[in-house]
Amino acid sequence: MGDYRDMWKNLGMDLEKHDVLCEALPQAFGDIYLSQENRPDAMNYFNYALAEVHGARIQEIQEEKNNGKKVIGTFCVFVPDEVILAAGAVGVGLCSGSQFWIADGEKVLPRNLCPLVKAFVGAKVSRTCPYFQSCDMIVGETTCDGKKKAYEIMEEYVPVHIMELPQMKREKNYEEWQDEIKLFIKKMEELTGNKITVERLRETIDLCNRKRRALKRLYDLRKNIPSPISGLDALLVSQIAFMDDIERFIEKTNELCDELEDRVKTPNANGMKRIMITGTPMAVPNWKLHSIIEGLGAEVVVEETCTGTRYFENEVSSEGDTIDDLVRNLADRYMNINCACFTPNRGRIDDILRYAEEYDVDGVIYYNLSFCHTYAIEYGKVEKALKEKNIPLLNIETDYSEEDAGQIKTRVEAFLEMI
Amino acid sequence: MEKNYILFPNYSQGLKLESLLKANKIKYVISPTPRKLSSCCGISIMYNKEDEESIKALIEENSIEIKGLYTLE
Repeated sequence: MGDYRDMWKNLGMDLEKHDVLCEALPQAFGDIYLSQENRPDAMNYFNYALAEVHGARIQEIQEEKNNGKKVIGTFCVFVPDEVILAAGAVGVGLCSGSQFWIADGEKVLPRNLCPLVKAFVGAKVSRTCPYFQSCDMIVGETTCDGKKKAYEIMEEYVPVHIMELPQMKREKNYEEWQDEIKLFIKKMEELTGNKITVERLRETIDLCNRKRRALKRLYDLRKNIPSPISGLDALLVSQIAFMDDIERFIEKTNELCDELEDRVKTPNANGMKRIMITGTPMAVPNWKLHSIIEGLGAEVVVEETCTGTRYFENEVSSEGDTIDDLVRNLADRYMNINCACFTPNRGRIDDILRYAEEYDVDGVIYYNLSFCHTYAIEYGKVEKALKEKNIPLLNIETDYSEEDAGQIKTRVEAFLEMI
Repeated sequence: MEKNYILFPNYSQGLKLESLLKANKIKYVISPTPRKLSSCCGISIMYNKEDEESIKALIEENSIEIKGLYTLE
């Protein structure tokens, strides 16, 4: 532990309010995570990262700032980390997964908006997120209407750069995204005073690919029957990936995978139902659905979400001799993410069907954050495709509150009995 | 169930003890510090009661700074 109050005060945080947030974490984490049996020893690192998420990691980021580095906050897996890192800046994926921030978000936003958007605005407005308070700039994107307009409010608090994400995948849209990446490179160079060279960008492409490979290795291990790691633990690893030091994260995730590889050599059949979750992201500390499913004796073996496969699938090619070549490679990889903001989005259905087979799932749970229209509408297409393959599907629409936890539990329980 | 915690003045002391526990194959779990024990955020280490004496010896021999050993019912 440690006393971080001076640091938080220097970051302009509302200490009293932040303390309410801190108070809830140890109990929640203890109940949901530490109560699991037979956890891998290597999860200790991720327990550490979570316990020190507003402490040691923020201290590290402050040290980087004191050494002249800029801190860039992002909200979406479409924003290329490679560019942030190549400019010598620190990137943090801002989390916004707590009910705690909703009330403050609703002070400046309509209530009928997705909880993720309300929470990230609430976190900034209430000055209770030390990552947010550390940011020199926020990079937004135009994935959904809620976020797009929320950045206009955000601009009143912190400098914002918006990347215009195309919503179709025609050749011209790939080119448009290349142009957006180039504008972002220019912006990052201006902000940091560092030139993004071909060599530097190639290095950070390799670094981010290594991180993707570590996460892919973890997910591939979950294909074993039974999975050597709980869905809750795998989710925590993914969530930590967004804010941790990259080299250390790669090292610790690979250590975890080494341990899991040993485990799968002597599989102990547990007969648990294997579940895929598909849909909207789960940011820290949103462990709601996983804890319900795994509390009922099933295991979550894959998440087709932005805090799951969409974050690490496909690597960026580092082939090419010019910035233009590398930017094309970046655009090609990022435009291949199958987010529901695109129309059409057939690629996502192909992904879900492929994962269902690869991870040998017994059923799929469609996770939809309330008021996320693009995913809610896309449900119909996913349902049809899964029905044709006789794969059972359950639709859960929910937010961060615990009010509906009992009802969801009953529905998941019935679903698990049926499959 | 009774749970045992070691609290530290800062995380680096906690990590120092962690590597010693690992090297000596003593079971432990890193945990957020329970609010009942301290209102400061950050890590503490949970351990099994039967290892307490050997852990105390490690703390002593390696001059690890701790805030104390605590038990919660």
